[in-house]
Amino acid sequence: MRNKIPTLLKGTVLVVFIAIATVSFSFCGFYVAKADAKLFNNKSEVIMVRDGIHNVITMSSDFQGALEDFAMVVPVPVVIGSNNVKVIERRIFDVLNDYSAPRLVNYYDANPCGQPELFYYENDFSMVESTSLKSIMFCSAEVINYGVTIEAEYDVDEYKIMILSAKESDGLKNWLIDNNYKIPGAAAEVLDPYVKSNMKFFLVKVNLAKKKASNDPFLRPIQITFDHDKFMLPLRLGMANSQGSQDMIVYAFTKKGRVECTNYRTVKMPTDRNIPLYVQPKFGDFYKSLFEKTYLQEGRNAVFLEYAWNVSPYNSMHCDPCVGPPPVNRDFVDAGVDWLSDPNAPQQDIFFTRLHVRYTRDKFPADLQFQVTPNSEMFQCRYVMTYPPSGDLSCEAGQNYILELYTKRKKEVDELAALTGWNEKDGEDYINAFNSQIVPSKSEEKKNEFLPFAFLEKYGFKTILAFTILMGTFWLLRTSTEKTVVKTT
Amino acid sequence: MQATYKKTIQWLRSDGRHFQILSQIGFLCFGIFTLGWDADWQKLLAAFAGCVGAQFLAIRFAGLPAHSVKSALITALGISLLFKANSPWLFLFAALFAIGQKFVTKVNGKHLWNPANFGIVLVILLSGEGWISPGQWGSGPLLIFLIGTAGLAVLSNIKRLDTGIVFILTLGLLEYVRTILYLGWESDVLFLKLSSGSLWLFSLFMITDPMTAPGSKAVRMVWASVIAGISFYLTNFEFINGAPFWVLFFATPITPLLDKVFNGKQFQWIRFQTQLQNK
Repeated sequence: MRNKIPTLLKGTVLVVFIAIATVSFSFCGFYVAKADAKLFNNKSEVIMVRDGIHNVITMSSDFQGALEDFAMVVPVPVVIGSNNVKVIERRIFDVLNDYSAPRLVNYYDANPCGQPELFYYENDFSMVESTSLKSIMFCSAEVINYGVTIEAEYDVDEYKIMILSAKESDGLKNWLIDNNYKIPGAAAEVLDPYVKSNMKFFLVKVNLAKKKASNDPFLRPIQITFDHDKFMLPLRLGMANSQGSQDMIVYAFTKKGRVECTNYRTVKMPTDRNIPLYVQPKFGDFYKSLFEKTYLQEGRNAVFLEYAWNVSPYNSMHCDPCVGPPPVNRDFVDAGVDWLSDPNAPQQDIFFTRLHVRYTRDKFPADLQFQVTPNSEMFQCRYVMTYPPSGDLSCEAGQNYILELYTKRKKEVDELAALTGWNEKDGEDYINAFNSQIVPSKSEEKKNEFLPFAFLEKYGFKTILAFTILMGTFWLLRTSTEKTVVKTT
Repeated sequence: MQATYKKTIQWLRSDGRHFQILSQIGFLCFGIFTLGWDADWQKLLAAFAGCVGAQFLAIRFAGLPAHSVKSALITALGISLLFKANSPWLFLFAALFAIGQKFVTKVNGKHLWNPANFGIVLVILLSGEGWISPGQWGSGPLLIFLIGTAGLAVLSNIKRLDTGIVFILTLGLLEYVRTILYLGWESDVLFLKLSSGSLWLFSLFMITDPMTAPGSKAVRMVWASVIAGISFYLTNFEFINGAPFWVLFFATPITPLLDKVFNGKQFQWIRFQTQLQNK
């Protein structure tokens, strides 16, 4: 039985626990700010790789403040040695984001009157915006009766890293305060459950001398590797000082299939919808509104699936269409997919899941827990725009096309309203844009068929109602008149 | 009008499975239409065809009463509600294992496992391609109300409310002690855990299966609380998702032993009907 359980658990039961708390890694951290620093943390990105109980977690930082102010507190389930901490290039987040972002696809209809033209391309759309972050002082650690133990202390590239364990949260809180951290009250409260769950605290600050030598103004992402059953991302520390909602994008990689949340619903974003052409310049706003509306519709407590794909090297079709160059082997290895790092190893699958969660304290009281499932169904957020052909549309097929276009565009405008709640005034013009190309002489029938149709669409109900009332009144009048006539005779 | 109402109530009460089938159909519709589950008709068809087909063969060749097809429907609905897999074939296998098990592992007239539980676990273990999604229902008061009301109606009819209540109370108490008293989380963390739709469905519709739970009431209550205790341990210390589901798989085979030692009675679905007929 013992050896069967792990197989069974792969799909259902594997869980990591890592908690990441930071100024810059908002989903799991708290800001420990200087007196007057404004605190906000609205968006974060994280890469999770899960293989059995092996975890690689990479946290990105968009920190843009003074480097000496940077510090990060990350609860982790085990003590992480220096061999298991790596600093990687920020680029990898951009590659993964570009590749898996919700996409806009443009299609070009062929001209039915003969001039062949069929184009197809796609637009890139980057969902992730930079967030500027402020933070803290991190002073050297001295353990004097705090009940706090420094488990390890080392440098990795431009970072100074220290791992603490604590016997009780008050000791940890006092240690942090005495070492010039300012801790929000709410964060101190949620430290307690983490301490009691026997978590360690991974503290990071910048080694200024090394950082200055590198000439790169931005902080690079930190990647940690550890083995643990728990498969989760802690949100609570990050909520400690955050008002309102925060967004987190999770890029997850497994050998087997999708990653899904086990304590909140995982819901697919609406996809494969046809939307009007005029959305193109504001596609970013479109997706934001769509996300907002879907988030509200689902009760504000769901995790959203934005992308799920088998991106194994042998699987040539990684997306339809691709919005960015597909990540190559090196990108995956950098992201922590370490089963690809040995070129001689037999080829193994990589399944890429992108999750988007918008969380608030009231709807996400507990940390996110995940499981790896064998679910290999592919999914992407894809919105389609169809361009009409240019040129003459006066032939019969062209006139038919205009009729179809009218109906299609009407659907697109309705779809847009349903998806985003936008009530577009451009909609009417857009729907009727091709009406002027109806040729009366060549297609009299079409015109007759089309115009009442368009007319009815617009005024149909009122027209029929008015007509019925008119006829009804007429009939009543006539009947009563006849009766009167009979009576009198 | 009143006569129709009376007849409907009588029909519902005549067999505990009637209301269960209706409730489960309701849950499936809620999942598909409100929660937006992927509704793959091939998978649903495979589950239903497998269960009903196998049961029909048993009726035809093993001389089972025709009403046993209702049990097969419950199993098919159970599989459709709980099980996830990439291929419809796995749904068919889960259905066949579920129904087949009822005839293969019979001890003292009772089968050892809840059919849906058995079929799903076996396919997950053997194929590695199936899974269950504990998060698919989400959590919330409305959900508990819906599942709770349906559960109350079904369980009070078959007199198995004790099992479900003992299970959920034991689990709730243990979670309260750990989450709130020990770890110090706020009460809504506990509420999130305890208002999970999967947990309530399990408590009211699976562990309470009268065919696989011990017959004696006192034994049944102890049995349910032990399952709750083990599930609590596996969830919080071994980090196993959907733990109650796995624990039940290992807990039902000891039922015949418990029945023998404590003299549990065999459950009959059509109890009410016979009473009515006798009158």
